[in-house]
Amino acid sequence: MTTPEANSENPNHRPGQLAMGIGALIVAAVLAWGAMDIPSDAGYAGVGPNFLPWVISAALGLCGVMLIREVLTGGYRQMEEPSGAARGDWRALAWVSAGVLLNAALITTIGFILSCSLCFVLAVRGLRASEGKPAGDLRQTAKDAVTGMLIAAPVFWLFTQLLAVNLPGITASGWI
Amino acid sequence: MMDTLTQLLGGFATAGTPINLLWAFAGCALGTAIGVLPGLGPAVTVAMLLPITGQVEPTASMIFFAGIYYGAMYGGSTTSILLNTPGETGTMVTALEGFKMAKSGRAGAALASAAIGSFVAGSIATILVTLFAPLLAEFAVQLGPPEYFCLMLLAFTTVSAVLGQSTLRGLTALFFGLALGLIGIDQITAQVRYTAGVLEFMDGIEVVLVAVGLFAVAEALYNALYEGRSPAFMNKMTRAHMTRSEWRRSWPAWLRGTAIGFPFGTIPAGGTEIPTFLSYATERKLASPEHKAEFGTVGAIEGVAGPEAANNAAVTGTLVPLLTLGIPTSVTAAILLSALQNYGINAGPQLFQTSSTLVWALIASLYIGNVMLLVLNLPMVGLWIKLLKIPRPQLYAGILIFATVGVYGMRQSSFDLFLMYGLGLLGVVMRRYDFPTAPVIVGLILGPMAEAQMRNALSIGEGSFMVFFERPMSATLLAVVVLVLLVPRLLARRVAVAQ
Repeated sequence: MTTPEANSENPNHRPGQLAMGIGALIVAAVLAWGAMDIPSDAGYAGVGPNFLPWVISAALGLCGVMLIREVLTGGYRQMEEPSGAARGDWRALAWVSAGVLLNAALITTIGFILSCSLCFVLAVRGLRASEGKPAGDLRQTAKDAVTGMLIAAPVFWLFTQLLAVNLPGITASGWI
Repeated sequence: MMDTLTQLLGGFATAGTPINLLWAFAGCALGTAIGVLPGLGPAVTVAMLLPITGQVEPTASMIFFAGIYYGAMYGGSTTSILLNTPGETGTMVTALEGFKMAKSGRAGAALASAAIGSFVAGSIATILVTLFAPLLAEFAVQLGPPEYFCLMLLAFTTVSAVLGQSTLRGLTALFFGLALGLIGIDQITAQVRYTAGVLEFMDGIEVVLVAVGLFAVAEALYNALYEGRSPAFMNKMTRAHMTRSEWRRSWPAWLRGTAIGFPFGTIPAGGTEIPTFLSYATERKLASPEHKAEFGTVGAIEGVAGPEAANNAAVTGTLVPLLTLGIPTSVTAAILLSALQNYGINAGPQLFQTSSTLVWALIASLYIGNVMLLVLNLPMVGLWIKLLKIPRPQLYAGILIFATVGVYGMRQSSFDLFLMYGLGLLGVVMRRYDFPTAPVIVGLILGPMAEAQMRNALSIGEGSFMVFFERPMSATLLAVVVLVLLVPRLLARRVAVAQ
């Protein structure tokens, strides 16, 4: 816990903090831009469907301005130092991201089990690399793929067979 | 009074059927497991399992979900005592003393005090829910849209302004959540808002998607990005056993923790952070001089017993506003609410009349679940500790698979999976720059409800905002909102001046 008046000490966070403030402003602007197209027909209520969008847009814009003001006057107030390393391991993040995004792109074509196993293999690779261990040779990758399938397949069967939730398979049998 | 007892017995009859007992047990076991595992909380787990609402009848699935919610609190304390990486915000305080106790070879005593304390607090709190929830429901029937709107306003304020480090960042998160809640079809005029022509946005953004993205996916991404080199250290487990003096020191702390936790759970201020911290501070103050030295050094058992009890009592207490007002005050309660919505059940004062079987079975299952969890967590604690041996890369990669099931299974759209990734990235930067994530979820789920209540209230007031000030109840609530916003500031200023 920091004292109420303490500022964030690490100046490395400043650009990121600034970006968060600007992000809030952008969202506020998008909200305002969208709100212009919403009719204000109020009925008995006095305020229509465009009322809250304008309020939120204004509030978020104000938050953005205040955040930027805090950054310019010494950084975020009452800031808890984030856990973990000071510098991000971007390669590890790229592997995990590739896993999630490929999964999203391929799930309908190659089916849930294969797609999730692929996601598992890529994500494990990234997470292992982030620990400074070797990401894995061919043997390790094959082992990861089997592990991924051993998790994905029972989950797939549980949801499709028992709970009748539609998950995509390669065949329509609901087993693979 | 007699009426309540009859209803409760009816609830036990429903919850006691073999199939429902099985659901309760499955929920408790799964809840304990995910509580022990870092990276998955009860909210995300329930969110990912929401698809079962299509297949399982409401009573069974609510019993199952409540078991998960409860079990995670029990399991979470195990992790914070042994690993010092609390999975839940509510067990953060337990880690303060519990980890130190475990380090000095008293892990077993800490775990026992936590589990038994959770049992005591959970059971007492359930009795209180049984007694007070029906009364509150009867009272709540009289509340109109203006009062509801003010109650929700209070929930917004406390979730974003009181919890967390900075009011500004809390409010930013809240308004972002509210903005997400705008997407889709307006409840009152059926006006389409912010869909940008994307068909998937028509139904609005599902709370499941946001919860899974912000918590589970963000956790995996954050771990890859920043936590790889963080050293993991695990304390040695000892036999779960308390000495006579440890019992003597624990039980008053359990009772005090319950007394602090329950009221905080029931008011729409929500959250377990404040009561657990309050309980910790109380125990530290009340400890006898010889035990006071143990705080922060070798670990004091009161510092585990009190906050753990406060945590469980508060968690149980959150069921009161959820069931009687339909207002969720924690992220998990918000997800439980959307589970009810999936069944077309409107949580609110009428719930005790329209779905009384479900409500009473749920309450009865809490009594049963507490007993189950005590057994699961004391004699069988060794089993759960094995879960902590799962290597980190496999654990988080596995979580991504479960995240996919939850999000894709919801409405079979791979668009949602991309959105989930985007929210995951957002979760990473929010965590890095210390923005709380709970207000996003609460804003998303309560926002549309609050908007509908506000516009209905304005219709009652014929378009005048005075309607919120003219009714005594809503005016009082508004005053409380202002107090909640101002008092901490004034106190801080006084402290600053005094220094």
